[in-house]
Amino acid sequence: MSSAEAEQNADYSEWRALEAPRFSCALGGALGTALGIYGSVPILHSGAGCGIGQLFGQLYAGGQNAGGPQGGTSTPCSSLVEHHVVFGGEEKLKDLISASTELMEGDLYAVITGCVPSLIGDDVSAVVRPFKEEKDIIYVKTSGFTGNSYEGYELFFEAVINDLLKPAEKIKPKTVNIFGIVPYQHVFWKGDAKVIKDLLARIGVTANVFLAEFDGTDQLRNIPSAEYNIVLSTWNGHRVASLLKEKFNTPYLTFPSVPIGPKQTAEFLRSVGKALNVSESVVEKVIESEERRVYRFIEYGGDAHMLVRPHPFFAVVADSGIAIGITRFLVNELGYLPDVVQISDEPPEEVRAEIIKHLTEGLETPVKPDVIFETDSYLVRQNLKNRPFMFLYASSLEAPTALQEYGALPITVSFPTMNRLILNRTYAGFDGALTLFEETISTFVGPL
Amino acid sequence: MVYNTREEAEKELYEKKIDLSQTTCPNREQRANGINIFYGKASELVDQAKSGCLKNHERGFAQSSGCTLNFYLSVRVGTIRDSATIFHAPVGCSSSALGYRELFRGVPVEMGRPANYDLHWMTTNLRDKDVVYGAGDKLKKTIYEAQRRYNPKAIFILTSCTTGIIGEDIEGAVADVQPHIDATIVPIHCEGVRSRLVQTGYDAFWHAILKYLVKKPEKKQEDLVNVASMLSYTWQDRLEIQRLLNKVGLRANLIPEFASVEQFQQLSEAAVTAPLCPTYTDYISHGLEQEYGVPYFMYPSPMGVANTDEWLRQIGKHTGKVDEIEALIEDEHKTWVPKLLAIRSEFDRIAAEKGSKVRVLGSLGQGRLLAQLPYFDELGLTSPAAMSQDYDNLILEDLEEVISKVGDFDLLVNTFQAAEQSHITQQLDPDLTLSCPFQGGAYKRGKGSTRIHALRGDPHPWSAQSGYTGAIAFGNFLLQSLKSTSFQKTLKAKTKDSYREWWFKQSNPLYYMKPESI
Repeated sequence: MSSAEAEQNADYSEWRALEAPRFSCALGGALGTALGIYGSVPILHSGAGCGIGQLFGQLYAGGQNAGGPQGGTSTPCSSLVEHHVVFGGEEKLKDLISASTELMEGDLYAVITGCVPSLIGDDVSAVVRPFKEEKDIIYVKTSGFTGNSYEGYELFFEAVINDLLKPAEKIKPKTVNIFGIVPYQHVFWKGDAKVIKDLLARIGVTANVFLAEFDGTDQLRNIPSAEYNIVLSTWNGHRVASLLKEKFNTPYLTFPSVPIGPKQTAEFLRSVGKALNVSESVVEKVIESEERRVYRFIEYGGDAHMLVRPHPFFAVVADSGIAIGITRFLVNELGYLPDVVQISDEPPEEVRAEIIKHLTEGLETPVKPDVIFETDSYLVRQNLKNRPFMFLYASSLEAPTALQEYGALPITVSFPTMNRLILNRTYAGFDGALTLFEETISTFVGPL
Repeated sequence: MVYNTREEAEKELYEKKIDLSQTTCPNREQRANGINIFYGKASELVDQAKSGCLKNHERGFAQSSGCTLNFYLSVRVGTIRDSATIFHAPVGCSSSALGYRELFRGVPVEMGRPANYDLHWMTTNLRDKDVVYGAGDKLKKTIYEAQRRYNPKAIFILTSCTTGIIGEDIEGAVADVQPHIDATIVPIHCEGVRSRLVQTGYDAFWHAILKYLVKKPEKKQEDLVNVASMLSYTWQDRLEIQRLLNKVGLRANLIPEFASVEQFQQLSEAAVTAPLCPTYTDYISHGLEQEYGVPYFMYPSPMGVANTDEWLRQIGKHTGKVDEIEALIEDEHKTWVPKLLAIRSEFDRIAAEKGSKVRVLGSLGQGRLLAQLPYFDELGLTSPAAMSQDYDNLILEDLEEVISKVGDFDLLVNTFQAAEQSHITQQLDPDLTLSCPFQGGAYKRGKGSTRIHALRGDPHPWSAQSGYTGAIAFGNFLLQSLKSTSFQKTLKAKTKDSYREWWFKQSNPLYYMKPESI
């Protein structure tokens, strides 16, 4: 056991102090989710710096994305100071909601609270309630100390369910809701959502993906009428799906990650097809034609791959979803060898065994990676020392010194991602294999 | 009331005396009657400030704009080399600092960036339990951990709204731990709720630097010039400042961005403290003079040729290099003034074509406001209006001087209020607006839009703004920007605005200002 591992085991606790952990707070996650669903307008009830802090620490860090029309310094904020700590911030919030709805067009207003109102005990529900008569408005009760960005994602959807949704009159067959893609934390969220939606459309399934869709808020309202909920994570979105089962009796299916490459994508489509009674021939036809095209394209990279860097060891530092998807693709389709996988999203204890299983079982190699749960950037770096990996699929925290410190070529795939602009880029689906292969080979390829 | 001397005005209008026995500075609101809401003629603001009737007001509609911690201190303190920063806060208060390892890596080593350095920050990651039971022990453990891991020369502690409201005893924790560790602990009180003015964060930072880190001078370094730089000053700006000072045998002590701890310790030994942004530098300048007799000046900043001349002359006065500086200025002018005139004649040609001077809307901080307007004047540009993040009496005299130089202008004071900034940009419809990400969609328009400044990690000569090379680079940059409109035009036409139409149809950018003062 390395000293870093010993330290980690001796001091494991989600409460510990951390160097540069790979997420922001619950407010950041809820804000990112609200911004990801077009048509919703976040309203921060917090100190004045929370929104601009998240512009840097959630949005720029999530693929160098600008705030857009409702994000960054455009986000309404009650900008609480000491005066409000003493006298309360409720009046200020009331004014702000009223002005925000007057000035900014929205289909859904989301009041998201920070540390200050939680500490001073503002009755935010009472302030929000009267506005419900006229507007769709939800109250997302977050604070910085409630938890991290992933928690903020769950809290946002829980607020949607509790404040907005009503039971459906009729279930729409072959319609699903997609959960588990956390905007900005999963840096390819926009492309992921689109690929999943398009893939499912190919087999006749309509998906509410909510994210980066102009009818995102309508999709939220349609949640209860879906036949199935699909969760693309070992833990993100599970609370949401289980609450929906409880409230609307919607069953749910889970996958360990957004599927990357033909093998995972085929498995995904087969499972969804089976659950939703899609004809097997429809599903198989899609898989066959897509596989054929994608692998034919992969052939173009074959020479560079075989001649320059065949079967290299690689390391991963990423959230559990991207870590599982990438590791299984690299191992099972490119023949790369897994050295170490560090899971940086602090999944709850109870799902860790399952995550390890997805990273160590069903691999087409006898090599099993060391799986380490770590989000402290100092310890992450310690854990990468003296290892054979040549490619490092990690965040922009590792990228600047990867070559110098580990002799590895960095590819930024996880939060924080500041060294690349991510718009529609994704590794999801059949074509995701090509994108990831291209990016990997392009880190080293030159005249042969 | 009229003040005869600068000293007289300073004495009346703001608190100059710095009390280092206190744990932190007073807020800008108290120290210099700071405000962050005003729209009107700059001369009106000056009159109101002088008569003491300038008041701050609440906004019925406000947008997230920055607190004393985020984003200035949060993204800057962690760039200090051989130190570690601890955010005593929930995890989200520090996420803005996640770029710490990349910030300066784009600067080639050949351009003076050290090949090997490491920057460190930790968060105490406060959670519900800590809020209920207190987090003093956690802070102490984190300080020990930072010492063990990084062996830094200094450990900065940045506080948060949460530690402020739950009443964490920061000084108590520091006193307990300091005897047992090597690093000097520097607690900075930047609880977000403490002040409406982000500049209070600067003062809080400098207060802690003065109180904990600056050493008593062992010797005077007559060739050392303290220069406190903003994150809006690029690597090229640093190089230009060093180049100019080196030419006359002086050295720049550039703090705090990417400085070493030793550079802070020796601030007291310098010959003079020179400004890049006067109100940012104000507290450290005053403090160093008061505690160690290091003289300072506040104006001008080295932006534009005339300002740079004067900035150098001031430094010359304090370093006994008056003649050398004059020779330097003369020498530099030979190279740069013809280039400036060429840029000016190009702006004049554009002006002749359209029948009026090119109108520019810009400025960000108070310092940039003061420095940029005379520079624009030098280029033959006109600024019908300017925006400033805040206003306080620290710049009163200097603002008057600018008005007397370039004439009166409209002034919108707000801290990154994107709706107000979009409004004024649309209403004034300048030929060129100098925007930043914190103005939201204000850059989307039919005419010129460019950025107001680049950032610290940008090593390209094209991005420079300081000194003589910067004056030329930025002038050319502005000329270049006037030839490009497709991005802002396309996005204006094809994307939705943040605000409803009525906002732009009414005339008042401060529509939501509450009448009663605070």
